Amino acid sequence: MPREEYQVPTGASGAQRGATRDAHESRAQMSYLCGDCGGSVTLGKDALVACPHCAGRVLYKERTKRMVQFEAR
Amino acid sequence: MAPSATNTEWDHQYHTLRRENLFRNPPKDHTAYPALQLAVDPHIESFNGLFRNDGKPGLVAHALADIGTKTYLDGDDRSGLEGRNRLSIRIKDVTLQKAQVPPSNKLARNRQIFPAECRERHVTYRGRLSATFEYQINGGDPVEFVRELGQVPIMVKSNRCHLENNSPALLVERKEESEELGGYFVVNGIEKIIRMLQMNRRNFPMAINRPSFQNRGPGYTPYGIILRAVRPDETSQTNVLHYLNDGNMTFRFSWRKNEYLIPVMMILKALVETNDREVFEGLIGPAGSKSTENTFLTDRVELLLRTYKSYNLYTKSETRAYLGEKFRVVLGVPDTMSNIEVGTEFLRRIVLVHLGNIDVTEEQDNEKFKTLLFMIRKLYALVAGECAVDNPDAVQNQEILLGGFLYGQILKERLDEFLSVNVRASLRDFFRRYPTVPITSEDFRKDFPNTIFRKANENLGNALEYFLSTGNLQSASGLDLQQTAGFTVVAEKLNFLRFISHFRMVHRGAFFAQLKTTAVRKLLPESWGFMCPVHTPDGSPCGLLNHLAHKCKIMTDSVDVSRLPALAAELGLVETSSASTEESVVVMLDGKILGWSTPKESLRIADCFRYWKVEGTHGVPLQLEIGYVPPSHGGSYPGIYMTSTPSRMVRPVKYLPLQKEDYVGPYEQPYMTIAVVPQEIESGRSTHVEFDPTNILSILANMTPFSDFNQSPRNMYQCQMGKQTMGTPGTATRHRTDNKSYRIQTGQTPVVRAPLHNTYGFDNFPNGMNAIVAVISYTGYDMDDAMILNKSAHERGFGHGTIYKTKKISLKDDSRTKASKSVTKAFGFAPHSYVSASYQGMLDDDGLPHVGRMVQEGDVICAWHTVTPDYNGKMVNLDGLTHYEKYKDSETGFVEEVRLIGAETGNEPLQTISVKFRVPRSPIIGDKFSSRHGQKGVASQKWPTSDLPFSESGMQPDIIINPHAFPSRMTIGMFVESLAGKAGALHGLAQDSTPFRFDEENPAADYFGHQLMKAGYNYHGNEPMYSGITGEELAADIYIGVVYYQRLRHMVNDKYQVRTTGPVVPTTGQPIKGRKRGGGIRVGEMERDALLAHGTAFLLQDRLLNCSDYAKSWICRRCGSFLSVQPTVSQFAPGKKKAPSIVRCRNCAIKLDDTEGIDLTEIQGEIWEDGQGNSWVGGDQTTMVVVPGALRYLDVELAAMGVKLKYRVDRGDEPRKGPMRPMALDGVRVGK
Repeated sequence: MPREEYQVPTGASGAQRGATRDAHESRAQMSYLCGDCGGSVTLGKDALVACPHCAGRVLYKERTKRMVQFEAR
Repeated sequence: MAPSATNTEWDHQYHTLRRENLFRNPPKDHTAYPALQLAVDPHIESFNGLFRNDGKPGLVAHALADIGTKTYLDGDDRSGLEGRNRLSIRIKDVTLQKAQVPPSNKLARNRQIFPAECRERHVTYRGRLSATFEYQINGGDPVEFVRELGQVPIMVKSNRCHLENNSPALLVERKEESEELGGYFVVNGIEKIIRMLQMNRRNFPMAINRPSFQNRGPGYTPYGIILRAVRPDETSQTNVLHYLNDGNMTFRFSWRKNEYLIPVMMILKALVETNDREVFEGLIGPAGSKSTENTFLTDRVELLLRTYKSYNLYTKSETRAYLGEKFRVVLGVPDTMSNIEVGTEFLRRIVLVHLGNIDVTEEQDNEKFKTLLFMIRKLYALVAGECAVDNPDAVQNQEILLGGFLYGQILKERLDEFLSVNVRASLRDFFRRYPTVPITSEDFRKDFPNTIFRKANENLGNALEYFLSTGNLQSASGLDLQQTAGFTVVAEKLNFLRFISHFRMVHRGAFFAQLKTTAVRKLLPESWGFMCPVHTPDGSPCGLLNHLAHKCKIMTDSVDVSRLPALAAELGLVETSSASTEESVVVMLDGKILGWSTPKESLRIADCFRYWKVEGTHGVPLQLEIGYVPPSHGGSYPGIYMTSTPSRMVRPVKYLPLQKEDYVGPYEQPYMTIAVVPQEIESGRSTHVEFDPTNILSILANMTPFSDFNQSPRNMYQCQMGKQTMGTPGTATRHRTDNKSYRIQTGQTPVVRAPLHNTYGFDNFPNGMNAIVAVISYTGYDMDDAMILNKSAHERGFGHGTIYKTKKISLKDDSRTKASKSVTKAFGFAPHSYVSASYQGMLDDDGLPHVGRMVQEGDVICAWHTVTPDYNGKMVNLDGLTHYEKYKDSETGFVEEVRLIGAETGNEPLQTISVKFRVPRSPIIGDKFSSRHGQKGVASQKWPTSDLPFSESGMQPDIIINPHAFPSRMTIGMFVESLAGKAGALHGLAQDSTPFRFDEENPAADYFGHQLMKAGYNYHGNEPMYSGITGEELAADIYIGVVYYQRLRHMVNDKYQVRTTGPVVPTTGQPIKGRKRGGGIRVGEMERDALLAHGTAFLLQDRLLNCSDYAKSWICRRCGSFLSVQPTVSQFAPGKKKAPSIVRCRNCAIKLDDTEGIDLTEIQGEIWEDGQGNSWVGGDQTTMVVVPGALRYLDVELAAMGVKLKYRVDRGDEPRKGPMRPMALDGVRVGK
């Protein structure tokens, strides 16, 4: 049901209109945490999933830096 | 100051600081809760038995010896043996490595793979299995080579696991629980355990009366002797003796799922060189003994000997050759063996294998002979009524099949099958392709191990992984088991109680679940101290799924009994015996006859052994079971049956003569006198006393406070509900990826608990909250097991819980075939693709969700696109489409963790992620709670604190329950807990709630009443209370105290089901089934009956028609058919969007084109056209009716069978046949 709910249009504040993914080819190198050694791992697109320090095979995504705000009920 | 060893002694007190310290600084030496590990040890030790580190041969080594050497010949199968070369091959050794990173991964410095990583990566925790083969060509020099046999799942904390003997500190470092128990396997990230099964006691001839034996053929009686013989590698072969009407006996066994019957005399003659006199005297006794006068016996033995004469087999070699000839094909032996050798092989593999299985000596054959004679003797005694049957459903005649042993059996069978089926097929294939190449040639050598083995399916690991993940046994031999499925269960970590219960669970076998008789489910007194009488589920698995008593141990290794035979001989055993148990009784050790003694002597022998065993002298081991069965009239067959084998249950009790710990087994226990409490000891009779009466209860049943005050079914319910509680699965939740995991936020340690609570370290896994509970009927919202929650308590976090759900998203296609290994998809947005703003906001640049984001139904979790490698190997997206995975649950959740899962080899781009969602679940109306006394209830209201009653000290209840919950259920334990909890809270004490501590002289109510009195409260626990609404004092004093409450995992949010319209089944038009898919709830016959009985016809129509398969349908009034109507097609109608179509009955209409000689002007009525352009006239008596859609469907289905249905819409619509006849209408005569 919530899918059909009326969504209040968010203003232009997000500056995010639907957009074509530009060819910013160098997709921002994302930073992850190694599950084994805890070190920071930067992976680009198509990079192999392995920690360069310890060859850890599980990487965690870092908590987002964006503001996360919920309505507390 | 050197740190002292971690203390492992616990009492019932809180030990807050000690626990805090343990928690902050996990001990570096050993765990503080050794009892927990002991509970799981049977699983681990049984697995350790497969590959032992202590120098003794493991079970696999024994199995390899039993598999033996396989011989293959080259050349044409049809030609004789001459001129053909033989290749003999055997497995010399099998080794299992610890879990390691494959060699292809060059980067990893730490090569170990830990179980935690396997859980996180949703893969199997397994190690490499490799075997050393040895082959000889034509008996030449043996050549060895090593092959890898795939990766085999490893039990956590076993001797092939990195976590073996790790200290808690190290375990925490390795991302495990500080009290990690092991004993399970990690298969595809899921924890699986092989459950323990109850089996017939091994190596013991059991007297059985089973009517189904009569179905074996004419002459068969219900009497038989079953002996389940177990080989040194823990595989078993059951031998059965059947008694026939005429006194004859047959020997039955099953081999590769087929059953075979052999005259028992043939086995006897094949085993040793013997004659009829020897057999006769072996059965009846030497001349002059009392039993020679037993004509019942002598007549039958005579017949047994006489009927065998027809076979004309006299010597041992003759008989063996005969058997060998018959069983050559069945056993699958090579052609090179002679018949006599095959006969010997038959005896080795099938007959009483526990007495000699490998390189059987004459001595061992002789023992087999003697044991077989004993079995015959016991069977005749059973038939004569001199001895009673043994109950196979009693724990007395059972043992436990342990997971590790079963695992070993499967491994053995796979190895055997690999060598004798796969390699054979591969070799045959080779010889068929190159018929001229002999084994001795260089060409064969070139191909032999490598190519030929590669063609045989070498991956044994897959078979074991399949077994663990499905629980299905795929076996050619059936492993002497009665079931083929349901061997493994998921070790759910819903809460810790449930998790630990899995390891103490014993199943009777899936076969017995279908049995209509309930005899197997009965709680028998023999189970005392071995199986918990309380802890079994109610419902279909009741009595079949039991749990071990918490002090019950399962032996996993045989104890050293090498000195016993000599010791027994010293005590005066003799070789000769008589069939009369008044003259001689048997002394047996592990199914081997040590000798015979008089009944009087046997008691002395048993007593001596018992004393030495506890004393620890004379080389009699403590865990030896000495089953002394005293002579009786028609009771169990007397003798001394000693057992030293693994898989037995044993339990500690105190031996009175030495005041020392003794271990007793289930076989001997019924014949012993064990006092439950010291007061019960009878001088001269009791030999033992229980250490504690609570030893009979399982771990869980021991956690029920004051369970001796409760009605027994309530304790059973608590054992169920304790396992469904939303508790604390552990502290390593960060490193776990269970599909669904429940957790309570505000868990507390119970005020009222037994010392075992601390012994098992349950404070590390809180399971509920201490609640102030008032027993009062207050608002009416507490009727019928409903309970009222204090709204402020709820707001303070009472019962607040969380669900963690993990979703694995893999871009690899999950097909088991390894064919498509190439990468075809990648996470992230496709370049140049259109991405809507909302989706872009939900995901990070890498196409994965933000950690911490709130997700709602329909939100996207991740984005991916297809890729193909371009000319220089870079992966590029060609279609410019971004695909999304959506969050499908209706509840809002939060992204807790996002894991990027790499390949073991470390050379794959991102293909798999796993996202953990957190769904907060604060208690709402409709959630289920329970106390620890089987008193469950549903929250019915969150009542404001201001309106709740309060006591004189200003206390207000957290929970209100209705007094009616008590009279019929008689859970006095809950009252006592309330009292004890109140006193404990007032004094700051933990209260010991061990059952059986109070009696009539010292009642519990008095003990806690006085504590309450000391705190200034009412002795009885009642308090005057004031209405929260009016402020007036309530007329009665209210019973209010502290009770530990559990929040159960059944929550309305997972259960509510509402629907007005929604998806329907296309064929019938009725609502679909299932909550998940938005289906309806069935209004079944009984509901229909209720509505009918109430006369609520409109409601009935609403439920059964309007809300279900309401369908409008055209029907022809004339012919009464749904199926003959059809819409007309107008030539002039403009397109499809035309006015309401006209429907006509094709059956009743006349086709104009066919019928000759019709004057068009004569036709009455409209001419209509069908889709084919045919013109019709008539058939216009159609109408629309409302019917259930299923009715139309039924009509169609019946029409397909050639059955026509006719519906009379109205009485006047009946087609008239023949001339009109007057009818009586409403009693009025019409017509003439």
